[in-house]
Amino acid sequence: MTPLLSATDIVVQAAGQMLVHPATLVLHPGRPLTILGETGSGKSLLAQALIGTLPQGLTARGRVTIGDRVLDAADPASFRPLWGRTLGVLPQEPWLSLDPLMPARDQVAEGHALVRGLSRVQARTAAVRDLDGLGLGRAGGLRPDQLSGGMAQRAAFAAARAGGARIIIADEPTKGLDAHRRDEICALLLKGAADGGGLLTITHDLALARALGGDLMVVRQGRVVEQGPTAQVLAAPDSDYTRALIAADPASWPRQAPRPAQGAPVLRAEVLSAARGGRVLFRDLDLSVHLGEVLGITGPSGCGKSTLGDTLLGLAWAEAGRVQRAQGIAPVRFQKLYQDPPSAFPRAVTLGRALDDLVALHRLDGARIAPLLDRMRLSPGLLTRRPDAVSGGELQRLALLRVLLLDPVFLFADEPTSRLDLITQAQVTRLMIDIAHQAGMALLIVSHDAHLIARSCDRVIALDGPLAQAA
Amino acid sequence: MIWRALGYRAAQAGVVAFLVGVLTFLMMQALPGDMAFRIAAGRYGYDMVTADAAAAVRAELGLDRPAWAAFMVWLGDLGRLDLGVSVISGRPVWDEIRHQMGASLHLAGAALLLSALIGPPLGILAGLRAGGWLDRGLLVLSSGLRAVPQFLMGLILIVLVSIQLSWLPAAGHGRAEHIILPALTLALGLAAVSARMARDAMAGVAARPFYAFGRWKGLSEGQMLRRHGLRNIGVAMVTFLSLQFVMLVEGVVVVESIFGWPGIGHALVHAIFGRDVPMVQGTALLLGLGFVALNALTDLLTRLIDPREIRA
Amino acid sequence: MSLSDATLTPPAARGPTPAQWAGGAILLLVLGFAWGAPLLVPADPLRQDLMRGLAGPDAAAPLGYDHLGRSLMARLAAALRLSLSIAGVAVLLAGVLGTGLGVLAAWRGGWVDRALVLLADSVLALPGLLMVLIIGVIISNTPLAFAIGLTLVLWIEFFRLTRATAARLLAAPGVQASRLLGFGPGYVFRRHLWPDLAPMLLTVAAFGAATAIMLIAALGFVSVGIRAPRPELGQMMVELLPYYREAPMALFLPVIAIFLTILALNLLAQGRRP
Repeated sequence: MTPLLSATDIVVQAAGQMLVHPATLVLHPGRPLTILGETGSGKSLLAQALIGTLPQGLTARGRVTIGDRVLDAADPASFRPLWGRTLGVLPQEPWLSLDPLMPARDQVAEGHALVRGLSRVQARTAAVRDLDGLGLGRAGGLRPDQLSGGMAQRAAFAAARAGGARIIIADEPTKGLDAHRRDEICALLLKGAADGGGLLTITHDLALARALGGDLMVVRQGRVVEQGPTAQVLAAPDSDYTRALIAADPASWPRQAPRPAQGAPVLRAEVLSAARGGRVLFRDLDLSVHLGEVLGITGPSGCGKSTLGDTLLGLAWAEAGRVQRAQGIAPVRFQKLYQDPPSAFPRAVTLGRALDDLVALHRLDGARIAPLLDRMRLSPGLLTRRPDAVSGGELQRLALLRVLLLDPVFLFADEPTSRLDLITQAQVTRLMIDIAHQAGMALLIVSHDAHLIARSCDRVIALDGPLAQAA
Repeated sequence: MIWRALGYRAAQAGVVAFLVGVLTFLMMQALPGDMAFRIAAGRYGYDMVTADAAAAVRAELGLDRPAWAAFMVWLGDLGRLDLGVSVISGRPVWDEIRHQMGASLHLAGAALLLSALIGPPLGILAGLRAGGWLDRGLLVLSSGLRAVPQFLMGLILIVLVSIQLSWLPAAGHGRAEHIILPALTLALGLAAVSARMARDAMAGVAARPFYAFGRWKGLSEGQMLRRHGLRNIGVAMVTFLSLQFVMLVEGVVVVESIFGWPGIGHALVHAIFGRDVPMVQGTALLLGLGFVALNALTDLLTRLIDPREIRA
Repeated sequence: MSLSDATLTPPAARGPTPAQWAGGAILLLVLGFAWGAPLLVPADPLRQDLMRGLAGPDAAAPLGYDHLGRSLMARLAAALRLSLSIAGVAVLLAGVLGTGLGVLAAWRGGWVDRALVLLADSVLALPGLLMVLIIGVIISNTPLAFAIGLTLVLWIEFFRLTRATAARLLAAPGVQASRLLGFGPGYVFRRHLWPDLAPMLLTVAAFGAATAIMLIAALGFVSVGIRAPRPELGQMMVELLPYYREAPMALFLPVIAIFLTILALNLLAQGRRP
């Protein structure tokens, strides 16, 4: 079987610095290849070198063979004639990658017409057929803003392949998606590979890699850590890193015995209802949160789980019902952690300055910061940096440290780890729960990841959109 | 949604008219001499004003009453679009303005056309290759041009083309060659800005993910520009029309005065010079409401180009 | 493909751009000349000496004389002081007014926001030149009228940009987090709004000053601005235009002065792009 694409000794450099060390890979027809790695591992750079789209300032070396053509990775311009015709790229967040002002059908048809050279009428027919095949028959005339995220993703998939590309390169196709949508996109990608096409996927998502099967390359700090058949690598990993990665997947976290709520209630919600844009998110929800318990809320995106948390904190309006806090507790002891850690800090001052501001405002004991840094395994040197110069995992731990200075009784963590890498996610979640137990506060975690919630919380509320039930 | 936008424009037009009323009333009050006499002159022309007419006006407007009562009457006239006659020429303000409008539109149209041929095409080319030599060259050129106020551009053109080279007349109206210098003066200033706007809009669109995706689909640069580039910069360019109008109005006032072009700007300067309040009021109202009408047109065009309900 | 290896992107650069350094340097030169010239060579910009009409430079007038034998250096410096002072006052007043109302609109939202936006849009519909001319008739002191008229024109841009930026920042998690931590509005303004507003306000201020200086000169040029004999750049150009063949340098001096001033302000306005 001749490979669709093979690459030998691909290297990516920037200003003399080696960002991707020599990597070699082969993509066979019908056999998906997945490059798995964390943020900053160089996995995207490797893929970009294979299609000639490295950002300015980066250079690649190495040989890429696509079909019967041999290309030099150092000459990105030579790849351009292959785009659309042989190589198809499915970009991150496809709903942003479609022209916002053009109906979906036209965006697919232009590949048939302008790249494959079909007549207007033939191209339109072909586009309608493509969309029909993906279950988008009636959505062809709609603009991207009128499509759901999943529909946009399928339309982008059809558009990427319309020019006749046999090889699909998918960059983080499940970024920001919940489990259901992830399965959908996985099926879509496999469908393209099933009839002898090529599929190269770049992802940080272990579950996606597992579902795609085929071959797997694990990348870390610009080096290929290990590669082989996916099932084999995941079942019996050779490297410590791969083992750590697998252990960090929430699906393989150990289950823990739920601890019954024992503390006093700090927050009580009665017949709570909320709606957004005319859609009821939850209705008549009764709920009380006790000191020392970890409560989880999960559900698909848009189900209102973050709104519920905000409503409990008094940050969002409830349609009906009321939230009562336990009496005699200072309002600042009800706190929140945010999904995007950098946006939760003042942008222009150092983190140390932001903490000092808080200490000065509430006349706190500044000496408490040092032991807390230690407890969070954070270097004191971080305090001299601004938020944009600190990693997401460190920043989220600093945000936790910041609220701990106020001795919270209730902490709402809104998707606190969804922007973090797997291993960091496991560390931060563990730390958060340990600290909540130690401090005896109530912790409310909201996450789209049902495994994460199930394995870290004492009590779970699953929202599924229109109706909510307390479990 | 579109009705809501148009309703807002109607409210804006109302506030504009009110502001014009306030400003011109204050202007009237600030002028020396008998107010009733001046208002009478504003209604019937200086030749027709007699002591009786002034007395009649004083009684009608209740000028012996507090200022706000006179102000209400003043606003009432404005509300009925009753602008009176020019204090200087004695002809109705509307006739005067209609006459001057033609000349101004002629000049402005020529300038807009000229600038549209120079500015946006250069800007789009520069934006497609942001950071390239054309982009950098254009930045220097447009920075230099924008540091030359329009009256100075007119002065430079007069000195160069009329005085030094004696190619074209410096001033006048009526023959075809008369429009070249004033139109060019206006167009160069407009083009310097519109090239920058087009460049930024194009560079912004070319950096969006859908532009990269289009290339990956196999489309050429030309196909990308025609199918995905032009329409997506359309909204920014149409919105920019309103700004061009402001620049054009200010330019027209100055340029018409320099080149002796008998348009609305020329007349405005004369009206200010002669303290001809009815003419100033008419001109201000026309320019202000013209701007609002253009805004409304922009709203409609924008929705035509980009029919999405919620825009980012 | 956006670069998902985010750690490779360096933190955003801070501080002035090269263009801003150049603009600042030119502006300092212009300011130095405007206020320094009378200290170096004291001369009355109004003093005529018809014997010296259009004469070349000498020790008392290092830049030569105009058609009425007045020192060009003294007149140029006086004209620049006048334009720069009016522009400075107008930009300062407009900045305080526009920024204050912009933050108020973004903070309060609702009808306060809608009313202020309607007012700003309506004032915007009146051409700035017209506004300045009308105020010039209402208030007889021309420099004061210019300052007030220009303030009424320039506040809108401050208002619009401040309102848009503040609304975006106020909706961001950072502000919510600070409020939850117990910080008041002053802190939110100082730590969250001001760092983003400041560079933008500098840009608007520089453009506003350029607009003001151009407007003053344009009105002087068409003889409805600052009244003679008080020296003003646009008016100097009109006066000297008839003597262009005899004394081209005399005409070029105010031309160069205004070009450099506007160029400096435009360069100063070129901040970093996000």
